[in-house]
Amino acid sequence: MTHIDQVPTPGAPLPVEIGVKAGAARTNPFARVFDELVRFAQSRSLFMLHYCTGCGAVELPPAMTSRFDMERLGIQPMVSPRQADILLITGYVSVKTLKRVILTYEQMNSPKYVIGICSCTVNGGMYWQSYATAKKLNDYMPVDIYIAGCMPRPEAVIEGLRGLIENIRTGRADAWKDYYRRYDYYLGNQQRLFGADWQTSTDVIAEARHYDLFGPATLGAHTALLEQHQRPLEALEMRIEIPELMRRRSRSDQDGTAQ
Amino acid sequence: MRPENYEAQRQPPSYDYELNIGPNHPGIEGNYAFKLRLNGDRVIAGRADAGYLHRGFEKLMEGRLWIQNLAITPRICVPDPVPMEVSYCLAVEDLCGLVVPERAQWLRVMQLELSRIAAHLFIFGGHAATTGMYTPMFWGIADRDLILDLFEEMTGGRVYHIYNIPGGVRRDLPDGFGERVTNTLDYLESRLPDYDNLLFTNQVFVHRARGCGPISQQQALEWGVTGPNLRATGLKFDVRRDDPYLVYDQLEFEIPTEAPGDAWARALVRRREIKESIRIIRQVVARLPTLAGPIRCPIPNPLAWNVPAGSTYTRVESSKGELAWYVVSDGGERPYRTHVRGPSQMHAVQVLEQLAIGCRIEDVAQIMFSLDACPPEVDR
Repeated sequence: MTHIDQVPTPGAPLPVEIGVKAGAARTNPFARVFDELVRFAQSRSLFMLHYCTGCGAVELPPAMTSRFDMERLGIQPMVSPRQADILLITGYVSVKTLKRVILTYEQMNSPKYVIGICSCTVNGGMYWQSYATAKKLNDYMPVDIYIAGCMPRPEAVIEGLRGLIENIRTGRADAWKDYYRRYDYYLGNQQRLFGADWQTSTDVIAEARHYDLFGPATLGAHTALLEQHQRPLEALEMRIEIPELMRRRSRSDQDGTAQ
Repeated sequence: MRPENYEAQRQPPSYDYELNIGPNHPGIEGNYAFKLRLNGDRVIAGRADAGYLHRGFEKLMEGRLWIQNLAITPRICVPDPVPMEVSYCLAVEDLCGLVVPERAQWLRVMQLELSRIAAHLFIFGGHAATTGMYTPMFWGIADRDLILDLFEEMTGGRVYHIYNIPGGVRRDLPDGFGERVTNTLDYLESRLPDYDNLLFTNQVFVHRARGCGPISQQQALEWGVTGPNLRATGLKFDVRRDDPYLVYDQLEFEIPTEAPGDAWARALVRRREIKESIRIIRQVVARLPTLAGPIRCPIPNPLAWNVPAGSTYTRVESSKGELAWYVVSDGGERPYRTHVRGPSQMHAVQVLEQLAIGCRIEDVAQIMFSLDACPPEVDR
C-alpha cells in the first residue's frame, strides 16, 4: 500500500528528457506544422478500451449511446487493448483488478491516455479503509485526467473527455511518457502491493529506449529486483481439471477409439 | 479447398483447449472472468473467476456507524441499487422497532419498482447485444435514462440515491411529480409493443435464445436460483407476494411465469415484469395524494445511535432475485456483523458453471446475460 512518505511532493521537477532527436526535429520548419497535424488527427479519433473496472462503468452506456453520444467527439469503444488509445478506469480498483489493469496498460500502444473516473481512483473514495482496494491510481500508472464524483454524471464524463481531447491537441497529454521516465517509481509501488517478484510480460525498459524516453529514473532499485526475479515464460497448461472426464479420456485413449 | 481433397484430420480425443473470457471482454457482464475448457466450439467445463470487484463490504460496515453504512449499501449492486438500501433500512427498523409512516412505505414501493424497470431495461439490452442485435441495447439504455431523470428529480441522484433512511425516506416528492411519472409510464408502455416487434418476436433472437441454458424447476430449487430466473422455470414464487414487505399486500399485480426455463423464458419473464411494475407504480401514484402525513418517524441522534442488541433477516425482491440482509447488533453504535444474501452469487458462479457445460462458445455470453448476474454483488 502507498505510504505517505512515498507520495511525490507536488511541483517536484520531473527528470529531464535526455533525447537529442527533439532538438534536431525543430530545425525543420515543417516539423511543427506536421506535429500539429498529427496531434489534431490523434485528438479527433480516439478508441476507448472497454474495461469496466468498477461501478462508474454503469454511467458509460448512457454516455456512449444515443442520449449523450460520445461518438460525436470521435470516441468509440474498442475491445482490444492493442488498438485502444484511452484506458478508462471506472471506479475502485481492487488489487486483483489492478494487476490486470497494469497488464492491459502496458499492452497498449503509445501514445496512450489514462482517465481515472470516480472518487475511488483519486484517493480511495468511500473505500478508503478497505483492505482490498488500491487507493491512489497514479501511484501505479500515470493518469492524464481525473473525473471526480461518485459517480460522475455522463455530462462530466463527456466534459473530461473533451478536456483530454484539448490536451492532446495542444500536446499536453503526455503522462504516458512519465511511465517510461520514472518506471522505477511505478514499479516500486506495484511491487509493494503485489510482492517483490511481480513482473509483467512487457519489457518496459526496452520500450523506453525505443521511444527515446530512457532517463535517469527509469532504472533503479526496483528494476534491479525485476531482473533478479526474472523467470522464463511458463508453458500454458490446463487449469480446469475434470477428474471424471480425464478417466474417460484415458480409457478411450487406451482403447484407441476416438470419440 | 475442394471437398474431395479435404480429409478431416482426426485429432486425438483429448484435443481440448482453454479460453479465458474476461475480465476485459465485451461478452462479459462487468468485471468478471470465466474460464472455459473447450473441445472445438463446445464447452466441456467452465470455472467462474470472481473477486475482481471485492471491496470487503461486510468488514467495512462493521467499522462504520449505522447511518454511515447507508452510503455504501447501494454500491453493492450497481444497476439496481434501491433494494439494497431498502432492505438494510428494513433491517435496522426491525432491530429498533421503528414504525415507518405509511406514506414513506408507498414512496419506497414507487422507488423500488422504478428501479426494477430500469434494471430490466438495462439487462434486456445487454442480452440482445449478445445475440448480435445492438438496436435494443440503444433503445433500452435511452428509455432507462427517462427513469434515471425521474430518480434525479425525486432523490437527487441518477444512479445512487440514498433516499431511504431508517425510519422513512429523506424527502417528499416535488410538486407535479405524479404527473411526470404517469407521462413517463405512458411512454414506456407505448414502447413495449415496439420492443416486442424488435426483439421478442425477432426470429434471430428467438432461435438463439430458445433452448439456451435451460434450468429445470428441480435444479433451480437445488441451486438456490431466485427471482425472474426461478419464475422462468414455472414456479410462482415472489417475495413480494409470498412474504410481503412494505405495502405490497395492498397492491394488485400478477407474478409472470414461463415454463421452459431457458434464456428465452428468462427474457420474457423480465419483459412481462416491466408491465407489472408499471401497473404497480400507477397504483402508487393514484394512492399517494390520499396519504398525508409524515414521511419519516423520529429517530435518535444518528451519530450516537445505539441500536438494540439482536439479529434480523430482512428480504426483498430485487430485479435479480431474492435479496436479504442478515444484521446482528450487540447494542453498539456499529453493526456487529452484517451479511448480504445476494442473488447473483448463485446465478453467476454455481448456475453459470453448470449451464455452460455442453453449450457452444457463443452462447456463454448469452447465458450470463440472461441470468442477469451482477458482478459487483457477487464479489461485494
